[in-house]
Amino acid sequence: MNEIKNRDQSNLAAELIIADKELAFQNEEKEKRAAELAIANKELAFQNEEKEKRAAELIIANNDLIFENSEKEKRAAELLIANKELIFQNAEKEKRASELIIANKELAFQNGEKGKRAAELLIANDELLFQNDEKEKRAAELIIANKELAFQNEEKEKRAAELLIANEELIFQNDEKGKRAAELIIANKELAFQNEEKEKRAAELQVANKELIFQNGEKGKRAAELVVANRELAFQNEEKGKRAAELQVANKELVFQNREKEKRAAELQIANKELAFQNEEKAKRAAELIIINEELAFQNQKRSKEVSNYKHALDESSILAITDQKGIINYVNDNFCKISKYSADELIGQDHRIINSGYHSKEFIRDLWLTIAKGKIWRGELKNKAKDGSSYWVDSTIIPFLNEQGKPYQYAAIRADITLRKLAEKEVETLHEELEQRVKDRTEDLESFSYSVSHDLRAPLRAVNGYARMFKSKYGAQFDKEANRLVNNIVDNAAKMGQLIDDLLTFSRLGRREMTRMNVAMQEIVTNLCLDLQKESGDRIIEFDIRELLPAKADHTGIKQVWLNLISNAIKYTRIREKAIIEIGSEIKGEEIIYYIKDNGAGFDMRYLSKLFNIFQRLHSDDEFEGTGVGLAIVQRIIHKHGGRVWAEGIVDEGAIFYFSLNKS
Amino acid sequence: MNQDIDILLVEDNAGDAEMTVAALSQNNLANKLMHVRNGQEALDFIFAEGKYSDRHIDQKPKVILLDLKMPKVNGIEVLQRIRSDERTKNIPIVVLTSSKEDPDIQKCYDLGVNSYVVKPVEFDEFQKAISELGLYWMIVNQQPHK
Repeated sequence: MNEIKNRDQSNLAAELIIADKELAFQNEEKEKRAAELAIANKELAFQNEEKEKRAAELIIANNDLIFENSEKEKRAAELLIANKELIFQNAEKEKRASELIIANKELAFQNGEKGKRAAELLIANDELLFQNDEKEKRAAELIIANKELAFQNEEKEKRAAELLIANEELIFQNDEKGKRAAELIIANKELAFQNEEKEKRAAELQVANKELIFQNGEKGKRAAELVVANRELAFQNEEKGKRAAELQVANKELVFQNREKEKRAAELQIANKELAFQNEEKAKRAAELIIINEELAFQNQKRSKEVSNYKHALDESSILAITDQKGIINYVNDNFCKISKYSADELIGQDHRIINSGYHSKEFIRDLWLTIAKGKIWRGELKNKAKDGSSYWVDSTIIPFLNEQGKPYQYAAIRADITLRKLAEKEVETLHEELEQRVKDRTEDLESFSYSVSHDLRAPLRAVNGYARMFKSKYGAQFDKEANRLVNNIVDNAAKMGQLIDDLLTFSRLGRREMTRMNVAMQEIVTNLCLDLQKESGDRIIEFDIRELLPAKADHTGIKQVWLNLISNAIKYTRIREKAIIEIGSEIKGEEIIYYIKDNGAGFDMRYLSKLFNIFQRLHSDDEFEGTGVGLAIVQRIIHKHGGRVWAEGIVDEGAIFYFSLNKS
Repeated sequence: MNQDIDILLVEDNAGDAEMTVAALSQNNLANKLMHVRNGQEALDFIFAEGKYSDRHIDQKPKVILLDLKMPKVNGIEVLQRIRSDERTKNIPIVVLTSSKEDPDIQKCYDLGVNSYVVKPVEFDEFQKAISELGLYWMIVNQQPHK
């Protein structure tokens, strides 16, 4: 367009130049004609002048046009250059278009690849669903295995408890035997002492008896001699009477002598009679002594029988050994031989090293000897070694017998076989260790189970919930009310299952958690929890009556959880009331602090009390009150871990009171 | 196509991945997101190796969302590798896991994880959690200048 315009204008300029020249020429002609046409010349001259003026103006305009023309030529040249540039760009664009086509093909190819990969992903997805199923199966198997373990555990705990009771019984019997043995020893000592005294007295009586018998004999002999002497004197008397007749002179003297002698004889006779009487008396006394002696012998026999009875009793009940002050054995009873498997001959003359098992430390043995050497009774349990190398346990009492200086001159060791008890103890210990190991194993199992549950079950659950929600938000508008309700049910149930898994895990974590006891300000915990929970329950009217709550030594986190669960429950089950009233308090009873929380809510039927604290047990349907049945089980678990108790009272449609107790210290 | 990536999502569970992407998309945070399905692929991407060798290691994502339980190379190993390399140790890493019972939580913190998020079962909460962490790491958090 510009070009054309340009061209027209330059044509016009050229024509104007030609016209100009023509006019100039006509002018000249007219000037020539002017001479001829002088009259009209002035007019023409005037016209000419005008025209000249106009020509001058046209020249000026011409010059302008010439200038414009050259400008336009310059611009035309620039446009040509621009044109070439455009042509070049066009070529470039074509090149690029062909490159894009190639790239497009590449993308189409990649698209194909992605289609393939999507197909692969579908297969992988199916595989994941299958794995998911397998995992659920495994979880179910683990739950069954867990129950089995729990059952086995309970059985073992029962057995351990029975063993503990049996053990306590054995300890009690042992104690009783020890006491009886000690009593018997004392009685024995007393009897031995009485025996000795009686033996001494009997020996003295025997000596006195012998002496009397001897004296009696002597006196009998002397009486016989006197009788003989008497007879001799009588004979001599007779002889002298005969001689008197013959010797009358000397008779008087002799008569006198005779009389004297007769007197003496009479005296002797009296003395003789006296002696005979005395003799008789002595015989009587001897007879009495014999009777007393027999009596004493009888009593002696009776006493020694009693002693032997006691000894028998002791021998039957105990393992007995007596040693001298150096510990050399000089008496052992059958029980000793039976348990040590040595004969009495092998033992007597030895010291107790013969049955030393080497089990006890030197310090232990030294303590034993130091105790009895000081004259004190030593009691303890000893492990000994029998002849065949087997070992046995005895509960030993070693009693030193002291001489007048208070030094031990012999020791009596009374022992009772406690090998069975020790074995039972060992068994209890082994069982306990076994149990600990089991518990440890089970805890580890539970931990991996918990992890598996929380991870493997939550992921698909999240997918169920999430996809249902995405489905609803994308397509919900296209479906009717019923379809939306069904989708909502999927969402709600997946969420509930998630809550169940979380609660279950909390419950199992609490089981494993160690309780750290510290001072817990109950008042503060409860007050804060009530404030928080009230805020969460919107515009409900809840009256909290928080009384004095005694502080306790307990695990802070655990106890807070307990209160949270109990207060939440009270709030939940009172929502059927226009005004909920919740009373919380505590009191001391004996060694326990009892805490309670009372509400005016839905209450519960006392017939189902036993189920109340069991996990997953619920006394209300989800339509009435939502929940997972874990809250109270958690409460019970925490309180039991503290060694406390939980219990509850309830009346349907009136309310419930929950109690828990903690030890004061 | 492997150019500036803001979020690297390392997740083997297709459902979780889809929902994570959906949650981030709500806030327009998923435009520059790369999803890899296992630990090895994540390492290849971060260290510009294997099929990502055309990338450069300096092209770091603004944040890595890392699942722990994955086949082949698990999240802990990925975390360990990234943290032990001078070139990559400053990349923010958020661990996503299914459960707070995970025994690896402590290990993750020991290895210097920036954040640890338990994926809630409830979709709203899941979406909320993912959006919040996306917003935080994409918009709020100030990274050191390259």
